[in-house]
Amino acid sequence: MSNRSRVLHLLSALVLGLVTLAGPASAQVTLVYSDWQLAENVWNRSLREAFAEFEKANPDIKIKYEPVALGQRDTRYSTALRAGKGPDVFALDANPIKQYIKEGWVMDLTPFIAKEGGQQYLADWYPSLLGPVTEGGKVYGLPKNVSPIMLTYNKELLTAAGIAAPPKTWAEFREAAKKMTKATKDGGPVDQWGTLLVLAPAGFDLRFSVVLRGFGGDFLSPDNTKSLLDSPEAKAAFNYVIEMIQNDRSLPPGVSQIDAQGGRTLVANRKVAMAFEGLFTVPIIADINPQLDAWKVLEMAPVPQNPGSEKQIRSTYYMKSIFMNSKSEHPEQAWKLIKFMMEKKQMEKWFVDNNLLSGRKSVNDTFKPILENKFTNAARPEIERAAFLPQIPKWPEIMETVRQALQAAIAKSKTPEQALADAHKAVEAILARP
Amino acid sequence: MRRLSLHVYAGLLVMVTFNLLPFYWMITSSLKNNMEVTSFPATLWPQQLTGEAYAEIWLNAGFPTYFVNSLIVSVSTAVLSVGFGTLAAYGFSRFRFRGRLVLMSIFLASQMIPGVLLIVPYFKLLTIIGLFDTRIGLILALTTITLPFSVWMLKGYMDSVPIEIDQAAMIDGASRLQCMRLVILPNILPGVVATTTFAFLLSWGDVLWALCLISDEAKLTITLGITRLIGQFRVVWSQTMAAIVIASVVPAVLYLLMQRYLIQGAVSSSVKE
Amino acid sequence: MSDRANGDHKVNWTEREDVKGVLFVLPALLLLIAVLGFPAVGAVLQSFNLLWTDKPSFTFAAYRQLVDDPAFARAAWNTLLFVIATVSFHLLIGLLVAMLLNLEVRLKWLFRVIALLPWTVPDVFAGLVWRFMVDPLAGFINSVLITFAGQTEPVDWLGTSTLAFGCLILAEGWRAYPFIMLILLAGLQAIPPQQYEAAQLDGATAWQSFRFVTLPNLKTMFVIAAVLDTIWECRLFGMVFSLTGGGPGDATQVLSLLTYRQNFEFFNPAYSAAIAVALAAAMLALSVPYLRLTMKQTV
Repeated sequence: MSNRSRVLHLLSALVLGLVTLAGPASAQVTLVYSDWQLAENVWNRSLREAFAEFEKANPDIKIKYEPVALGQRDTRYSTALRAGKGPDVFALDANPIKQYIKEGWVMDLTPFIAKEGGQQYLADWYPSLLGPVTEGGKVYGLPKNVSPIMLTYNKELLTAAGIAAPPKTWAEFREAAKKMTKATKDGGPVDQWGTLLVLAPAGFDLRFSVVLRGFGGDFLSPDNTKSLLDSPEAKAAFNYVIEMIQNDRSLPPGVSQIDAQGGRTLVANRKVAMAFEGLFTVPIIADINPQLDAWKVLEMAPVPQNPGSEKQIRSTYYMKSIFMNSKSEHPEQAWKLIKFMMEKKQMEKWFVDNNLLSGRKSVNDTFKPILENKFTNAARPEIERAAFLPQIPKWPEIMETVRQALQAAIAKSKTPEQALADAHKAVEAILARP
Repeated sequence: MRRLSLHVYAGLLVMVTFNLLPFYWMITSSLKNNMEVTSFPATLWPQQLTGEAYAEIWLNAGFPTYFVNSLIVSVSTAVLSVGFGTLAAYGFSRFRFRGRLVLMSIFLASQMIPGVLLIVPYFKLLTIIGLFDTRIGLILALTTITLPFSVWMLKGYMDSVPIEIDQAAMIDGASRLQCMRLVILPNILPGVVATTTFAFLLSWGDVLWALCLISDEAKLTITLGITRLIGQFRVVWSQTMAAIVIASVVPAVLYLLMQRYLIQGAVSSSVKE
Repeated sequence: MSDRANGDHKVNWTEREDVKGVLFVLPALLLLIAVLGFPAVGAVLQSFNLLWTDKPSFTFAAYRQLVDDPAFARAAWNTLLFVIATVSFHLLIGLLVAMLLNLEVRLKWLFRVIALLPWTVPDVFAGLVWRFMVDPLAGFINSVLITFAGQTEPVDWLGTSTLAFGCLILAEGWRAYPFIMLILLAGLQAIPPQQYEAAQLDGATAWQSFRFVTLPNLKTMFVIAAVLDTIWECRLFGMVFSLTGGGPGDATQVLSLLTYRQNFEFFNPAYSAAIAVALAAAMLALSVPYLRLTMKQTV
């Protein structure tokens, strides 16, 4: 063998040796992804398909799925995160984000974002959506999808009751609800109701808030320091709901126990004509009852307001954002996953599967299926007219106080005035705590 | 006397109806399809008998694994509990050492600590030791629920065995340990069976600890599997009821087999000097 | 008692025996301390803001909040009502059924199995089953009322405070009475038949037999059952969580539920710890008579 080839052989052996030594560094990494949407049929399928694509493109990363029920999510996560464990990447709705940031459980993503172009990268997201995930100038999560809450109704039931267009004012809404409450079988019990409200903890916040805001009121002052529950608008909204339940009886019985899925099931089974829901509801309702032909029969309209009302905000944002565990052992790979989920193509697929608007403006403004979809067309203008629920760590406790007050009034253990007054006092006490 | 008999059977009938009504509802609901189970008014007997709820959870929702996990965890907890518990019960029953009362109070007091209080610190502890997300960690946690109870029950049974028996055995040259194993335990076998069964059942029914300590899907217990079914997005009553039926089968069968021992065991613990 | 009966002439008997006793207890004790002690002490310290907090400093703040918080007062009251009602239910129904099962009836074994069945369902799931049973639209009870009793409007069983509380007591009564029944049955079976025979010879009626033979003999078991049950019902969580979730409003919110909520939903671990410590202290105070009684019993 010539000297030259010997050197070549030596060199290649060296390189090979070095590569095998460096081998373990590119060995398989397992990322744990946790999401309450993994516990639901339609979303679960969509997520797994997307992640299969990710794993193909990144053969050194394997994803382990950790579904969790929405009601147990915070229990599970806070226990694990307090002990320094927990999933690498996980999803949160808007409510507890500030609390998670305060506890230091989520990773500051600003350095990663900087590598992608910093402000330029972030510019594609709606600025209002970045509010909840940003604290002290640092970005802790990225919004995946958003939906304002809309008045969702069954067109067929409205037409059958002689109602030509969805109600625009709360008075019209109340009349419509009464008209559509009846017994579908002669001589049978009332088994169709005009509307429903979600009063169980799961899903209460999104739905009652639009009634409150539609009436021109809100929970807290814009700076989140004072309770606005003693305002005339709040009282009006509160009484309106209670009167509809107790006097009109246009909501199904057992109203205190209905949660979000219970509400959707009622709509799917044609038992309720109108409900306050987000864009995500249509595929789920279609999945519950294929016979309903939900995509055709359901439609969406803005939340009613009172005539002459000039308030800009009448709806609430539903938003799902993705976060990284601040103690993740694989931050680089976790960021790859998050970035993947935020890609335009993935956002578009997410819309096709789940009917949700993206957090990114460019996707919503250019993707043809979004532009041609009756639901998103109704929802897009409402993005300007929606706001988040108060983004403070004490919000879950405040929301629970209001919910319990409403339930107490409905259960007639307190008069509506008393219940609301007590809630106002309790919320002020909560806000006053350091 | 005949009239009394009629009253007795009437009373038993009321008891049977009261006890079995929820089971009847559970089982019939589990045999309905999705649409029927949410119909209003509810059908009192399935119009269309179907096993699709069971098929769904057994084949698609991973319940066989959960079932096995629950078995492993509950049996281990029961064995560990009764093992440690027998030793402790013997110590409390046969010895009069200083601090005995204090230690017994500690065992009693430990039953009063709500699980919610302990979960997060316990989780931290497990992480430090490296036992997070393991069945062993869960078993140890559940033992804290079952151990105090086991010690008290077993002590009660042991107290009913006269100390002369120990002394006779020791005169024959047995050590204390042999005494316990070969003389006392056989005498209180029904009590041991009862205690093991109760410990098993207590850990079988746990949800909170499993929720926080286990995240690996392969290690979920059946109770956790069921709570997963009840997310915000999936309250399919037929499947939920089917899962609860499956989760209740094991305890029910255990009762069937052990009912003689359970009652006998409870009786002997009540017979005190 | 008679530990010293057979003298061991080599070593001081009592001391060696004492040590042996402790050795027997040690494994269980160590396990308990390791798994329970550390977390429990940690939680108490946390309630005083001494542990797991950014700025540790001893403070009664959490306990002061307890005193001011109307939710805590409400929950404490609910817990008291709930425990008294449920334990009474258990004792009463448990005694009745135990007496029935103590008789020589045909198929005794079958009745005994059925009597124990409710206890086989874990409390979280028993709550779910009852929740489904009382569901206004899809539930069993309203279906029966509408189909057979001519009811036109579905009753909202969990919609008012009283009804919801009643359902909770009924559901928990159903679920847990079998165990109490078992304890009382054991007590009944331990009553020497001679006492009944003697009473009959004296011309006692059934009721007098019950009053003067059965009840006095059962006294100890009654107390044991009552105290055990009280401790368990104070801690009860899963059943309430599944059946009412504390509602409507906070009508059925018991202390265990409040503790859970404060810790996992409102992220106030120190306050949650304070509530739990208060509850544990109450239970401890309650159990002192139990301890005394069993000490006297077993000495």
